[in-house]
Amino acid sequence: MTALPATSDAGRARVPVGRVVKLLVLIAIIVGIGWLAVVNLGAKQATEQLVNALTRGSIYALIAIGYTMVYGIIELINFAHGDMFMVGAFVSLSFLTQLGFTGAVTDLRLLIVLLVASFAVTMTVLALVGITIERLAYRPLRNAPRLAPLITAIGVSFILQNAVQLFYGPYQTNSPKIFPDTWTLQVGEATVPVLSIFIFVVAIGMMTALQLFIGRTRLGRAMRSTAADRDAASLMGVNINRTIAITFLIGSALAGAAGVVNGLNYGVARFDDGFQAGLKAFTAAVLGGIGNTVGAALGGFIIGFIEVGATAMGYARWGPAIVFGVLVIVLVFRPTGLLGQQLGERA
Amino acid sequence: MGVAIAAAAIVVTACGGSSSSGKTIKIGITLPLSGSSLASAGPARDGALLAIKDFKLDGYTIETVVLDHAVNGVHDPQQGAKDITSLVSDAAVMAVVGPFNSPVAKVQIPISNEAGLLQCSPANTNQDLTKGNAGLQLRAKNPTKINYIRVATTDDIQGTAVAQYGFTKLGLKKVAIIDDTETYGKGIADAFAAEWTKLGGEVVGREGAPKGTTDYTAILTKFKDAAPDAVFYGGVTATGGGLVRKQMPQVGLGSIAYLGGGIQDGPKSVDGSFINIAGDAAANSYSSVAAIAEYPGKADFETKYKAAYGVAAGAYSASGYACAQVVLGAIKTAAGKGDVTRENVRAAGVDTATTWQTVLGPVTFDAVGDTSQRIISLYKVDMTLADPNWVFDSQVNYGQ
Repeated sequence: MTALPATSDAGRARVPVGRVVKLLVLIAIIVGIGWLAVVNLGAKQATEQLVNALTRGSIYALIAIGYTMVYGIIELINFAHGDMFMVGAFVSLSFLTQLGFTGAVTDLRLLIVLLVASFAVTMTVLALVGITIERLAYRPLRNAPRLAPLITAIGVSFILQNAVQLFYGPYQTNSPKIFPDTWTLQVGEATVPVLSIFIFVVAIGMMTALQLFIGRTRLGRAMRSTAADRDAASLMGVNINRTIAITFLIGSALAGAAGVVNGLNYGVARFDDGFQAGLKAFTAAVLGGIGNTVGAALGGFIIGFIEVGATAMGYARWGPAIVFGVLVIVLVFRPTGLLGQQLGERA
Repeated sequence: MGVAIAAAAIVVTACGGSSSSGKTIKIGITLPLSGSSLASAGPARDGALLAIKDFKLDGYTIETVVLDHAVNGVHDPQQGAKDITSLVSDAAVMAVVGPFNSPVAKVQIPISNEAGLLQCSPANTNQDLTKGNAGLQLRAKNPTKINYIRVATTDDIQGTAVAQYGFTKLGLKKVAIIDDTETYGKGIADAFAAEWTKLGGEVVGREGAPKGTTDYTAILTKFKDAAPDAVFYGGVTATGGGLVRKQMPQVGLGSIAYLGGGIQDGPKSVDGSFINIAGDAAANSYSSVAAIAEYPGKADFETKYKAAYGVAAGAYSASGYACAQVVLGAIKTAAGKGDVTRENVRAAGVDTATTWQTVLGPVTFDAVGDTSQRIISLYKVDMTLADPNWVFDSQVNYGQ
């Protein structure tokens, strides 16, 4: 049994005591860090940095989920996944640019239509790209030695990066920031961009929908059973090929959503953005327990918090080192990650 | 996964006249020529090629080898090392123009120094490349045989100039500093900070973020708490100069000034340039260029450049031209002495007694290869132009 079915059952089945204790410890840690942050930085900066961390964490989390889902179901570390995020950013920016939008859209109704459209278009395109890659690059290698699909994934990563570089050039391309920077909320003394709240809500919404999908639907059950035991699931009448394709479809669509969000927030995209983002997301997935979707989301937010926290405390140069330091410490004490239950022998 | 684009080697036969028979000598050009780097280094290459095209030397055929060490659109020291090695191993290469970025120079100088190959940079400014113990370490193989010269002055002067401009002329008092953690970026940020404090200004924040960083909001939010009048960026556009400016409005720092050195790289219409990336946020930005802007032969040079390439000369075009003039002059001197060998060319190029009549004006090189022309130009962004661009503001001469 992998972690994928276990956690998605958690909401419905009886909750083990150990889990409650863990949750309490986690809450205590978060409250402790929050208190330290307020004392050290003041409420204003602590709030603004919290928002920065949640925004950054949302993007990492959305990418990490796709990583972890693919690993959960076919035990493949899909190195091309970070590049799917990058492709998503470019699909979204091309879509908006083609429509003739270059700057902020202040008409709320138009903005909503545009946001819905760019998410829909980007996620659809990415879903198609995702299942195409799965069909062409990974399915033929389903029963090959484990190293073959891994190297293929690296190859796919190169193909995606070079294809985008060919069309957009090796520099930052502007992505229309249709969400106005001027829309802010005052929380106490702190100024919070509405865009950040939007990003956080979208990310949480998508993750919740995913949990419901995995936990409550027929297809979700097929995914869980395929992850648990592919052969047995196949004997029970689960269409394995279709189930794996759907996993890629969902993971890629979420990476596409992360790309849209990234473009809205930072206003640029570069053909090699996927490398850094993929590395962070992979770390998030391992931190949370690879194969576990809730863990991946949690890991994404934790990394966002560590990076932003380090910067806020004046250790921006040490951000990446602290992220990997935490990863090492977590893996020493919990080799399967924070929420991981059981791992295959090859991690 | 980082994808290395194979560096393209382009061999150009520059002299086609009947007198061009005889010994073939090559001039190497090693610059970052793709991505965001192209916007600033491309004009330097074209300037150098223009000078080489005009050059004729009886008994010799001059060829040019152009190598691009930008990987994924950003200057790459490792690729730079490979390129200079391949130039060194080509026995016909007598001199090299480049590199553009100090981190690349740092790895190239030991290699060209060991080979005794004359190298002239149109744009390197980090003072540790030549001066003091740091400079001595780079040329450890041949400490006394200087082979690296440059027509741009150093960052102790450039950082100082930007600080004086910001403090005195713009009237700024509190500055927050961010650098790209590279040789050049950190070096100029240190020099800027030192001068800023000396002038009586306040440095309210100092952070570093390497190239490849996409999110600067946390750093900028931290800065905002200290209410700076300006942000200084130590680095170039390719390592994050445009992104930082673009994200400043997001955290409420959009209206304050933005200072930098060497982020001056072209109009908005050029893909990957500072103004292109920063967009509307580029207003109220200022940058230095470690080169003379108002040089004597400017009008002639710009006409000639425009006629050759159809576009206006960039900030480093004349510097590229001047570097090529120096190495060509050294080749000519060596030919006059009997034979064009690497050692003769090197000795002629770094001779401290020679005054080179370049497009930038008369230039001599000191005992470590630094230029006598200690001039910094300052530019500001003009967003009111049809194609928003950098416009020349003033230049400061720091004397001999």
